[in-house]
Amino acid sequence: MKVSAKWWLRAGVVLAFPGVLAGCATVKPWDRDLLAEGRMRFNPCPMLHSIDEHIYFSKEASMGGQDAAGGGCGCN
Amino acid sequence: MQLETPDDTPAPPQSALRERLGTAALALLLVPGAAAAADSGAKTQIDYTTLLYGEQGRAQVVEPILRATRLFSDGQLLSLQLGFDSITGASPSGALPSGRVQTQTSPSGHVTTVPAGEIPTTSFVDRRTGLDGEWQKPFGQRFTSTIGVHASTEKDYDSLGVNGKLSVDLMQHLFTVTVGAGYSDDSVSPVGGTPAGLSDGTVVTHGANAKRVSSALLGVSRVLSRRWLVGVDVTRFEENGYLTEPYKVLSLVDQVTGSPLDQVTDKRPSTRSRTSVLFSSVYHLTDDVVYGTYRYYTDSWKVRSNTLDFSYRHDLDENRYFEPHVRLYKQTAADFFTVGLVVGQPLPEFATSDYRLGPLTTFTLGATYAFHFDPVPGQLKLRVDYIRQQGDGSPANAVGVQRNFDLAPTVNTVSAVVGYSFKF
Amino acid sequence: MASPCTVLVDGDDPEEAMALVEIAAEEAWRIERKFSRYRSDNPIYEINHAAGRPVEVDAETAQLIAYATTCWELSDGLFDITSGALRRIWTFDGGTKVPTRQAIDECLPLVGWERVSWVDSTLTMPAKMEIDLGGIGKEYAVDRTAGLIAAQTACSCLVNFGGDLYAGAVRRGARTWTTGIDDPDRTGHAALYRLEIARAGLATSGDARRFVTWRGRRLGHILNPKTGWPVEDAPRSVTVVAPTCLEAGTLSTLATLQGAGARAFLEQQGVAHWIV
Repeated sequence: MKVSAKWWLRAGVVLAFPGVLAGCATVKPWDRDLLAEGRMRFNPCPMLHSIDEHIYFSKEASMGGQDAAGGGCGCN
Repeated sequence: MQLETPDDTPAPPQSALRERLGTAALALLLVPGAAAAADSGAKTQIDYTTLLYGEQGRAQVVEPILRATRLFSDGQLLSLQLGFDSITGASPSGALPSGRVQTQTSPSGHVTTVPAGEIPTTSFVDRRTGLDGEWQKPFGQRFTSTIGVHASTEKDYDSLGVNGKLSVDLMQHLFTVTVGAGYSDDSVSPVGGTPAGLSDGTVVTHGANAKRVSSALLGVSRVLSRRWLVGVDVTRFEENGYLTEPYKVLSLVDQVTGSPLDQVTDKRPSTRSRTSVLFSSVYHLTDDVVYGTYRYYTDSWKVRSNTLDFSYRHDLDENRYFEPHVRLYKQTAADFFTVGLVVGQPLPEFATSDYRLGPLTTFTLGATYAFHFDPVPGQLKLRVDYIRQQGDGSPANAVGVQRNFDLAPTVNTVSAVVGYSFKF
Repeated sequence: MASPCTVLVDGDDPEEAMALVEIAAEEAWRIERKFSRYRSDNPIYEINHAAGRPVEVDAETAQLIAYATTCWELSDGLFDITSGALRRIWTFDGGTKVPTRQAIDECLPLVGWERVSWVDSTLTMPAKMEIDLGGIGKEYAVDRTAGLIAAQTACSCLVNFGGDLYAGAVRRGARTWTTGIDDPDRTGHAALYRLEIARAGLATSGDARRFVTWRGRRLGHILNPKTGWPVEDAPRSVTVVAPTCLEAGTLSTLATLQGAGARAFLEQQGVAHWIV
């Protein structure tokens, strides 16, 4: 599957999504209190997350999330 | 504008308050430089997790994992993880059910009988050991680099991989861009040799088969408001080499009765391009936090899938939280997926009846409970999940007696994860 | 530090200047990493998440807390590093939203240095209370950085972290450092006063950007920990010059906490000051 210009265009639109959604809103440093909490992360429990990735990788055809690493086992 | 030069005027008499303040300030500023820079020091965290996974009537897995992470005072992070995977049980061989009892032989020579009307399965035992390492280093205030290595080995599969990521923080950490790449070199050595694809399996080649995977990742994440963090990640994988399942077969059925008469081995293309687009959101309500992700996946085998995942985290107090979650998954079949082949018809170029490449929905419902157990230091986590997988049990191209059978019975699974982590 | 930080070096060697700036940056980041309440890997996080358990702190943190305790005593409890809990209910975004009486009543029991046990470098704080060293952290960083730089060079330097600064020794040619005090209504564009200082710290209390308008009155963001409300009749901006940036910052904050009595307070302390 060659990567076409159309693919890059779609990828670009997708990646612009968060910026478009936000416009130019900014959060002042003194308003970062909630964001500083340990649970305000995409992946607060990396070990549970990697267990899940492994389970679903072996039981489904899909792959991929937030890492360039993946697989590493003979399950799919 | 007034020009003032306070240094010229004679110093007014110090008040008692100023004297006390001055003394306190002096004491603070005279803390020796070495003591000041000694920091909070490096921290180590140990995480121990065990997964207990059981599919009803199918595979059972026990997987203990131990991870040690060290965070240095300059922000560097080093982590090492050792995991063991023990899988036993059965999985569908890919063959179709019959109106009569069938016998089948596994790759290791084990003979089993299959009751009429049931999907034939093969049993297996496998143990896998994996070692993962990660090193993270911040550069200045904006950049973070991550390098990871992975090595694993099991009876018939070895894997060696590296991956790296670079993150850039822009707009005072409100906007982060990440690029990453990975490469892994795997070696597949099926038990009993590698059978030729779409054959009766008697001709095997010995030796290892190579499988190489390169990947690239591009991600952006953005703080939208005081409560809301969103992100998008696009990942691309290119696989080359031996991508077939050596133990899976397809049934050749009679074109009228649909009875399975013969079997051929599974055969898949030797390349696969995969693309995954993941949208993530973390939103802080008044007290609780909601996590949501949506992933769209597509690959060159024509599999397309949509995944939706939600978690709701409720913190009971500083040390305890409860987090229920739900996951919905639906995939379409690969273009060379078929439940079986018909005797007499020309064999296709590629074919598989592996249910994992067929139409599939997965439903997961579960919850995590994390707590401290005084006086034991550290945190305990308990997670229980119910997973249900369902394929297409009555495909349109089922022939004859196959129409009476459920060709993709629902698989119910319960999985439990027990974890313990502590820092020192 | 949440604001632009600059280092001015009165010298001729650009390489030396760059080296000094790097030292300043490292020290500023070190202090920010260590005392920021927005991080989860420092002593402040440990203290704020100890849930009532005693926490032993290192020498530098202990001295900062000791200094904060002195300020608390000198201000009769108005300067209180535990008053950060009140920011959960206040939003100073220029709007008109103020918290309800009930919200404040629920929050006040979590404020008050008198509820904290501070003995022998060990801090024991009731659960849900938190400390915030933002009121003295920046000025402390300025003085520390100025000290580190002064030990490295014979040149006179000025360290300025977002308006809180320390001006070094008299410059070459017997010149002093010139600095201006912002017009709060035209931040960054116009100065109300121009000062010439040397070997002194300067700090300003008051923030034109963080306020709330209530019943036509402008309420600044400095809260009275006893009432839970912004200090009444607080001056828009108080600037103080003192031997160190730390003292200057503390005195300007203490003055602001006096509300209408700010000017009288500073005159009583006998310190150079400008009130807008």
